[in-house]
Amino acid sequence: MLANFRKTLARLFTFEEPKTKERFILKETEEEMAEGGQKEQDKKVEPRKKKNEGLQLNKKSGENEENKGPKPDISKALSENMERIKDIYSIPTNGDAVLREFDLVVKNKVIPAFMVFFDGMTDRKVINDDILQPLMLLSNLDIKSDEKSIADYIRSHILPHNQLKEFKAIEQVVQGVNFGGCGIFIDGVDSAFVADVKGWEHRAVERPNTEQTIRGPQEGFTELLRANTALIRKILNDEDLIAESLTIGRRSRTPCSMMYIKDITNDSLVKEVRRRLKSIKVDYLFDSGELEQLIEDSSFLPVPQIMVTERPDKAASMLAEGKVVVVMHGSPFALCMPVTNNELLHSPEDSYVRFPYANLLRFVRIMGVFLSLLLPGLYVAITNYHQEMIPTSLLFAIEASRERVPFPSVVEILIMEISFELIREAGIRIPGPIGPTLGIIGALILGQAAVAANIVSPILIIIVAVTGIGSFAIPNFALALGFRVLRYAYILLGAIAGFLGITTGLFLQGIWFVSEKSFGVPYMAPFASKTAGGIADQFARPPFWKQEKRADYMNVKDARKQPHISRGWKSQEGEDQKEEDDDAGK
Amino acid sequence: MKRTAAFLLMLAATCTLLSGCYDGKEIDDQTYVIAIGLDKGETNKLRMTLQYAIPLAMGSSGVSGGGGGGGGEGESKSIGSMTLECPSVYSGLNMVNNSVGKQVNLSHAKVMVFSEDLAKDGRMVMLTRAITRGKEFRPNMVVAVSRGSAEDYLKSIKPRQEADPSKYYELKFSGYKYTGFIDQTQLHDFFIKEESTGAQAVAALVGVNTKNSTKEFSVGESSAPQKNRPVPFEGDYLAGNLPKVGDIKGEAMGLAVFNGPKMVGELDGEESTHYLMVTGKYGHAYVTFPDPIKKDFYIVVNLKQSRRPTYKIKLVDGKPNIKVEIKLEADYMSIQSGINYESEYNDIFERSAEKYLEEGIKRLLNRTSAEFHSDIFGFGNQYKSRFLTWDQWKNFQWLDRYKNSTFEVAVDVKVRRTGLTIRNAPIQGSEGEVQSP
Repeated sequence: MLANFRKTLARLFTFEEPKTKERFILKETEEEMAEGGQKEQDKKVEPRKKKNEGLQLNKKSGENEENKGPKPDISKALSENMERIKDIYSIPTNGDAVLREFDLVVKNKVIPAFMVFFDGMTDRKVINDDILQPLMLLSNLDIKSDEKSIADYIRSHILPHNQLKEFKAIEQVVQGVNFGGCGIFIDGVDSAFVADVKGWEHRAVERPNTEQTIRGPQEGFTELLRANTALIRKILNDEDLIAESLTIGRRSRTPCSMMYIKDITNDSLVKEVRRRLKSIKVDYLFDSGELEQLIEDSSFLPVPQIMVTERPDKAASMLAEGKVVVVMHGSPFALCMPVTNNELLHSPEDSYVRFPYANLLRFVRIMGVFLSLLLPGLYVAITNYHQEMIPTSLLFAIEASRERVPFPSVVEILIMEISFELIREAGIRIPGPIGPTLGIIGALILGQAAVAANIVSPILIIIVAVTGIGSFAIPNFALALGFRVLRYAYILLGAIAGFLGITTGLFLQGIWFVSEKSFGVPYMAPFASKTAGGIADQFARPPFWKQEKRADYMNVKDARKQPHISRGWKSQEGEDQKEEDDDAGK
Repeated sequence: MKRTAAFLLMLAATCTLLSGCYDGKEIDDQTYVIAIGLDKGETNKLRMTLQYAIPLAMGSSGVSGGGGGGGGEGESKSIGSMTLECPSVYSGLNMVNNSVGKQVNLSHAKVMVFSEDLAKDGRMVMLTRAITRGKEFRPNMVVAVSRGSAEDYLKSIKPRQEADPSKYYELKFSGYKYTGFIDQTQLHDFFIKEESTGAQAVAALVGVNTKNSTKEFSVGESSAPQKNRPVPFEGDYLAGNLPKVGDIKGEAMGLAVFNGPKMVGELDGEESTHYLMVTGKYGHAYVTFPDPIKKDFYIVVNLKQSRRPTYKIKLVDGKPNIKVEIKLEADYMSIQSGINYESEYNDIFERSAEKYLEEGIKRLLNRTSAEFHSDIFGFGNQYKSRFLTWDQWKNFQWLDRYKNSTFEVAVDVKVRRTGLTIRNAPIQGSEGEVQSP
């Protein structure tokens, strides 16, 4: 312990050659573009991916499994299979696992069979009408063609269901059943069918709760993977949009979809995201929030390095910028990566409202960041160290209001900040019907009674309130949380050493943030590690027709979003055309 | 984990390097002096008067205060003061802290008033040098010279219109922008001019008006007799002798002129106006001119300086010849004689006003060179650019040569507006039309 401590101390005060650590860096693609070979390779990969895009999920997971090749272990004897299935699903202990035995008649032969599915995860009507009925009744029909095996015969003639797969390994069947499929075993056949009959209860597409806008689409993601990918595809309508399927979780085998636009996104970025996703080994995943923590670059950076969004339009715009979006089954939040600090301050509304308003909104948001991060710290610093900076009248107002407060201003502000955090936290957890009570408590007890009881000064309430409002103006919830955490550091620094402390803090934070990367993109790009179009395109927002290029730091394959002249009617030719038309009209 | 530990350790380490919270002080643990007065002491070198704000008594801010405001001539509750004798300003502060509970903080002092005695024997300049050294004084604090004792002046200030007494001083000394009777002589300005080789300092003049009834008014107090005026104009007074009675006894009018460390003379309100015009700091003010056609009538205009003055300085026989051009604009406010100056006689007025101002300004310029030997306008700093090296300039001894200067003044007055009345129509009565009473 002591030796360790000494080592740490020594390491702090002596110079040490930094270890060369290879980190992923998103490099330029121009050379890659120049190389034709790369493109061909892309094309080769394409068909397989296209096949994956299909609506069926089990299919993909099945295919992946096939590649890995689990042992074909389905026996020809039905009873043996049934025993194994009963064992796997602990039937009859397991209440919602349904095993249904039945007979079918093929070519005048009675063949016993059974099916297995989870009640509640499957659609009863589909099972009854499209699987059981044909198997039990239609099998009697006289079929003209000559089939080699029962399996082929059933597949091509009897089961009219649209998504049917045949597996040789029990493990694959079990996976299919676990994800809302219906496994069908037939006596004398050493394979089993899995029909996709998913029919579980789910939420409909609703308004996004956490990212609301006035203008723009009002759809939000739901918990269904395919619904979510479809929401994105619906917006982009681009055949180059790839939705690569992956499963994450050793037990849960949660399906995920990694989406990108093939001819925009940098290949190395796609490769890196795929590499990170595939390397994850956990048992279960419950939300993309967990996935985010597993693939992000730095866990200790207080701000997010992956943008989480509930809005399909936002995810689509991220894709169009050349980013990779990961959608996870069971989570209404998509992950967009990489992301820079500046992009987290953008709201989808910025592009939907006209540009003068958008710039005002952006400016207000930046103000919000500074207020929420620094205001309490600055208040403590100024009132403790730099009284000469306060206008005299305000100084006397603060002095008069603080005169009866028994605490130093740091303690005062910490009391208020912590109670404000409490209100916020309680506000989220509080059951709906008692919600209004919290407002009363917050407004009356904290706002008025605390002042009346001289626990805090009224000016401080204003500081805390403005800080809180400032943090709500940040469009990204996680970013707001990060600044909320950092704010306390600034309060302490302000209390310890005034402006000097705050400057030191800003300096350290600057170094820290500048050195971080999100999926190979410098976190503070385009300002620190300066790239083209910093202020004009990223900080402010130019008119829509002027947004011609994708962000430089994304190193995309296709840098241009629109030609130099994107509004044809503005050009001279357009004018002539119009005049001619007018003349013709006369 | 190791990284966070290292980071936290590093933070802790840097914190020890920072100047800790030892000089941190809560706002409410300090008392803020808003005005400082310095006199010659009886028993010690200095008599220092500190005037401090009492924010709790400033009413309105909720809890207490208020109420008291009404009681007639009573002491202003938002202000407290203390007078003591001490060897120096800083030791005086130390002594004050023995009786005041809160620590005395000077960072919000608005004005520092020196008595005439201190200004005349050169001690004031020494004191301001000591004050500029201390970081707790505001460089933009006003430096003023009190005619009479500074203590009396500060005690005469009982702001009743301002909840915050510091506002009184702030507003009063920035009032030159619309009166033209003083200059906002700030500490840093004063200090720089004292050490400058091309300019000399001035300080605002303040005083206490001791008149209790209108019977005590007399023309003799004004500078009108010296200027051969039957009636004093608004600027013919010095601080403390305005013909005025009322609640507010303290006055600020005129400037104290310094030559080197010592105060050598006073400028009255009108001369201060001229001083501002020559230096280009004049804002706008109502100025009375004699009527060029009808004797004993006056024309009042709102006079503005909208362009900076230009200077042409050359040496004639080793003596500086200084040419000043001043451009002014005017709006008619009052034409007592009723003569139609708005149109046909406008030119007559403009020329006469120009001549009148030229005379006044020339009188002031000659006074500063012949009587005070003090270049308060900073002509030297304008002329400095003619020299290639610092030594040449230093050996030129501008401040010594200034007393032999000759002056040429050109004033350009343009009337821009006639106010809300386009022209005076004759007044009608039973005796027919009357031009003016």
